[in-house]
Amino acid sequence: MKNKSEFSQLACGLAVAFGLPWLLLVVVPYVKLSAIEPQAYTEADGVEGLVAYPAKQIGGSISTGERLYDSLGCAYCHTQMVRPTYAGADMWRGWGGRKEGGLARETRPADYWGDSHAMLGYQRIGPDLSNVGWRRTDRAWLLQHLYSPRSLIRESVMPGYEGLFTLRKFNGQQSDSALKLEGKFAPETGYEVVPTPDAEALVDYLLSRKKDAPIPGSGNPAGDEAKAAASE
Amino acid sequence: MSEDTTKASVEDIRLRAAIDRSVRYPVLFFFTSAAAWLFVATVLGVVSGIKLANPDFGPAWTWLTYGRLWPLHTNALIYGWGMQAGFGLMIWLMARLCRTELRNSVTLLVAGHVWNFGLSLGFIGMWMGKGTSLPWLEFPTFVWPLLALTYVVISLSLVQMFRRRRSGSLFISQMYIIGAALWFPWIFITANLLINNEGGSAVMKAGINAWFMSNLVYFWFVPIALAAAYYIVPKIAGRPVHSYPLAKLGFWSLALFAGWTGFSRYNGGPFPAWMTSVSGAATIFILLPALAVWLNLSKTLAGQKKLADHSPALRFTSFGVLMFGLFALLSALVGFYGPGRLLQFSHATVGIDTLGIYGMFSMVAFGAIYFIVPRITASEWPSGKMINFHFWFSSYGILTVIGFMLVGGLAQGGAMDRWNTDFIASVELGNGYVIGRCMAWFLIALANLAFFYQLALMFIGRGRKSEGPTLIHAEGAKSSAEAAGITAEGGAANANA
Repeated sequence: MKNKSEFSQLACGLAVAFGLPWLLLVVVPYVKLSAIEPQAYTEADGVEGLVAYPAKQIGGSISTGERLYDSLGCAYCHTQMVRPTYAGADMWRGWGGRKEGGLARETRPADYWGDSHAMLGYQRIGPDLSNVGWRRTDRAWLLQHLYSPRSLIRESVMPGYEGLFTLRKFNGQQSDSALKLEGKFAPETGYEVVPTPDAEALVDYLLSRKKDAPIPGSGNPAGDEAKAAASE
Repeated sequence: MSEDTTKASVEDIRLRAAIDRSVRYPVLFFFTSAAAWLFVATVLGVVSGIKLANPDFGPAWTWLTYGRLWPLHTNALIYGWGMQAGFGLMIWLMARLCRTELRNSVTLLVAGHVWNFGLSLGFIGMWMGKGTSLPWLEFPTFVWPLLALTYVVISLSLVQMFRRRRSGSLFISQMYIIGAALWFPWIFITANLLINNEGGSAVMKAGINAWFMSNLVYFWFVPIALAAAYYIVPKIAGRPVHSYPLAKLGFWSLALFAGWTGFSRYNGGPFPAWMTSVSGAATIFILLPALAVWLNLSKTLAGQKKLADHSPALRFTSFGVLMFGLFALLSALVGFYGPGRLLQFSHATVGIDTLGIYGMFSMVAFGAIYFIVPRITASEWPSGKMINFHFWFSSYGILTVIGFMLVGGLAQGGAMDRWNTDFIASVELGNGYVIGRCMAWFLIALANLAFFYQLALMFIGRGRKSEGPTLIHAEGAKSSAEAAGITAEGGAANANA
């Protein structure tokens, strides 16, 4: 009998010690932050409508790309989290979004609306990708970089994802979608490298990374470029 | 060492032998399969490091990229080696401390096989690209209920043993084991349920992931390591724990603070600022239990530190406890914004994770395994030289890994913090240290090959049959009395209470 009550006492103590942070740090913030909905802009913001988020559809290419981002483990080397100036130099690196209009800013919870989980990341072997959709607008560049990073950035340590591309023989004219590889990175003559739908989906996902929408009611009037982007 | 502390009564010896027989099969199964996973993990540590430093090494197959290999390495290390070694430790320690035989060893054996089956499925799934890419929770979604269920079965049998216990007093090791048994399912199920809930907050899923990582260490790996250390150090020193109130203080302060840690991994992240700050502060408070444990155990061992020259169990355990101190210190440092901004997302934070799992937990687990396996197999380790090799290559290897990752992280993070330096500079500065880390993992892989070899010999009953225990530098042991002290089973009053 004594054994049993001693066990209950210990178990209660353990439950209370752990239950408090479990409730206050995990469950309550989870419920509260889960309730975030896209906000409407006010007149002072100078933008029409709701905050715009990537046009993600179930089964659409952005959602396929998001799944690939997980499957390939991109998050082990790339973060999607811009720290405020007191916690890092991220914004000075231009990772905070568009510089024009003074809109570069740190990421906030609402920016991840629509993501299946926020890919905040694990390490920064490569640059932050929160706003890569603003920095890299050239589809062909992103595709070539996925296939052969070192053909564009010599010191890069990113793996080349050849599995996302098809190497095939062509007769006469090269396809429009074929990568423009040069020198030692080029395939044998008569062959071309074309992206698979997966590669295109991953690029769609990367191009959708724009986590700097003007904050509704912040009293920080949006620049022209931002206005255009938000009402797209 | 006086006669009455080393000599146990005949009944005691019979009871202990009966207990050891009852737990023999599940404990040996967990230890041996853990050691096999550990070898896999260390090899993956080497290969993933090579692929990180030089991605063009070898074929360009997707399943050989760093993004696939790294999570395989950490998962093999955590769920394959760490948790299975922990299960073995928990079962044996609990049976011995409760002075009660294990009644359902078949259930535990089945649980062990199910655990390995689940891990293997998860492993293959991740390798094929079905992983979630949430660190330490990467297994494809269908795996976690299986693991949770298995864990609950193991927990229940531990709780059962505890409630049937014959010895009156409550040992500090028992408190840690009960803690680990109850906390883990809570943490694991919470994290998996909230993360897999489609409608949940995307940001909180990442935060809960970070919270899970630090809670897994503080509420599972630390308690198990400390349970083993609080058992082994007094046993070998042949005297009770220096201060029971201090041990309790260490336990309850860990229990109070550890649940608040984790979010500081994302300092400056998209969370309400109080969350990351509270986590940073809690990580600093973890220094309190670390200090309590270190003080208590070194006082327990006072004047007898030389025993670690000969006793493998004590040597590994002491190293692990020291590494717990270092781990707590470095974690607290990164919890501050200042050093945090330099080291966050750099190799250093990953190095600190590795320090917790390999430097702290694994080293203590090795010590405990060297202590336990001869008792349950009734044979001695084949070679003291090989144990010595295992110790030096492991300890040198892990210190080198940590050193490279801290200095490399500082170089990498420092370059990243200089906003007017090209980003690629941080890659180049960090890369050399990644190569160093690979080489250190190679040493660890060699060490663990020796460990697995010896354990496999014990497993198939090819241990050394001898009166005396296997010691490091056996010829150097001054007297047989000293040697006896190393493995002497003090009476129950003597150990641990």
